[in-house]
Amino acid sequence: MAEDRRRQLRAALTIDGSAPEVTAVCERCVTHLSVSGAGVTVLSHIGANGDGPQRGLVHATNDVSSGLEDLQLTVGEGPCLDAFATGGPVLISDLATDPARWPGFGPAALELGAAALFSFPLTIGVVRLGSLDLYRDAPGPMAGVTFSDALLLADLATEAIVHDLDGHATEDLSWLANPHAEVHQASGMVQVQLGSSTEVALLRLRSYAYQHELSVTEVAHQVVTRRLRFTGEDDPAQPGGERGERDR
Amino acid sequence: MTVTEREQRLAQTFVALSDTLVDDFDVMNFLSLLTERAAELLDVTAVGVIVSDQRGGWHPAAASNEDVRLLELFASQTREGPCQDCIRDSAAAYSADLETDRARWPSFAESAAKAGFRAAAAVPMRLRRETIGALTLLNRNAVGVSQSDAELGQAFADVATVGILHQRAAARKETVSEQLQATLHHRVVIEQAKGVLAESGDLSMQNGFELLRDYARSNGQGLTDLAHSIADRTIDPHDLLTAYRLQQLSS
Repeated sequence: MAEDRRRQLRAALTIDGSAPEVTAVCERCVTHLSVSGAGVTVLSHIGANGDGPQRGLVHATNDVSSGLEDLQLTVGEGPCLDAFATGGPVLISDLATDPARWPGFGPAALELGAAALFSFPLTIGVVRLGSLDLYRDAPGPMAGVTFSDALLLADLATEAIVHDLDGHATEDLSWLANPHAEVHQASGMVQVQLGSSTEVALLRLRSYAYQHELSVTEVAHQVVTRRLRFTGEDDPAQPGGERGERDR
Repeated sequence: MTVTEREQRLAQTFVALSDTLVDDFDVMNFLSLLTERAAELLDVTAVGVIVSDQRGGWHPAAASNEDVRLLELFASQTREGPCQDCIRDSAAAYSADLETDRARWPSFAESAAKAGFRAAAAVPMRLRRETIGALTLLNRNAVGVSQSDAELGQAFADVATVGILHQRAAARKETVSEQLQATLHHRVVIEQAKGVLAESGDLSMQNGFELLRDYARSNGQGLTDLAHSIADRTIDPHDLLTAYRLQQLSS
């Protein structure tokens, strides 16, 4: 059921099964979710020397949305930063009723023209990729099917950002919304094997899957069952070898 | 357990659970304690908390035992089985003997039998008119659920719901959505941390989880925070592994 809806939304965003673009996801949010504007801030920290996430590209469907993205960065508070802190979305159906929550951000956001705000963290566990921030110029909740579609579109935005990072399109996204997927355990294992971050481990899993024409889920299963180990940077990965052949 | 012992244990359990409802409340500590105590007090083999991902899917958020096959079984009954029926009807669903109820849930009955379970039940986690999840119980023996067990099961399900809402039971409707998503996010972080510990210490995923849980408990730490620090490597996994090895030696 969930997979069907995900496929439908994804198919509406792409022509040939390739990965959706971040901007296309933003535009789809506006036409589909009864919001006035959508923005995605992409955090870039690949290759940074442990300085933590840096703000990278900002995609926004209009000036209000890009203004809201800038504002949060300037005042250092707002729904998107709270969404990172809690790990879940931040849903504000009427910004005017709770001015104390963000004394710096709230009044300025109202001034820009946002009456309702819905922020979705784009994360895969500890991997923080960015945020999807929606606003509406009139107050009111986002509920039911619309909210479900917003979550699915946030998943597609996550996919789009990962695709921008490594260029590998993958249609198997079931693991993104499945907290028990072996991909997450495998990312933890591979980061130890490589001495890398979880993010780099995830990208290496994807790139191995791409090179060997396997799904990410299958590669993850091989890692978790200890039939595949990842080694140093130059060598993409090795079958388990001696260690893997032992019946574990 | 005698009736009096059980009553005492029950009182202790609700005190222990309410003790976790503090400022730095950690929903994963709460749910893991709740599932363990529910299994003990309801005298069943395993208990799981299944929650909605609000996209049409349902996933285990916590279980009394993190055995991989058991987690798979909990996940599979969201497609067919007591949990699915419970969510659909927003009412408790039981089978005292899956063997004789085979026709009702053919594929679930088969995988349950393979994993060694004979009886199953699911109680809805309700908030107002919404069913946000199901507390599911599995038993190795074919035994029915008594009226008092059913009521106690529902009480645990209600407490689990309150826990996911972070004590804000009367809060805005949006709070439910925010907290359910946050809970599933924490679950992903825990899976990543399990992977780090499994690889660093050559442990099974289940032992990786137990190490996280026990270390968090004995250090009064949030399971979520600890898992986060392990997965982003602000804590060295060997700090936990050393404690684990020492414990293994002394036991």
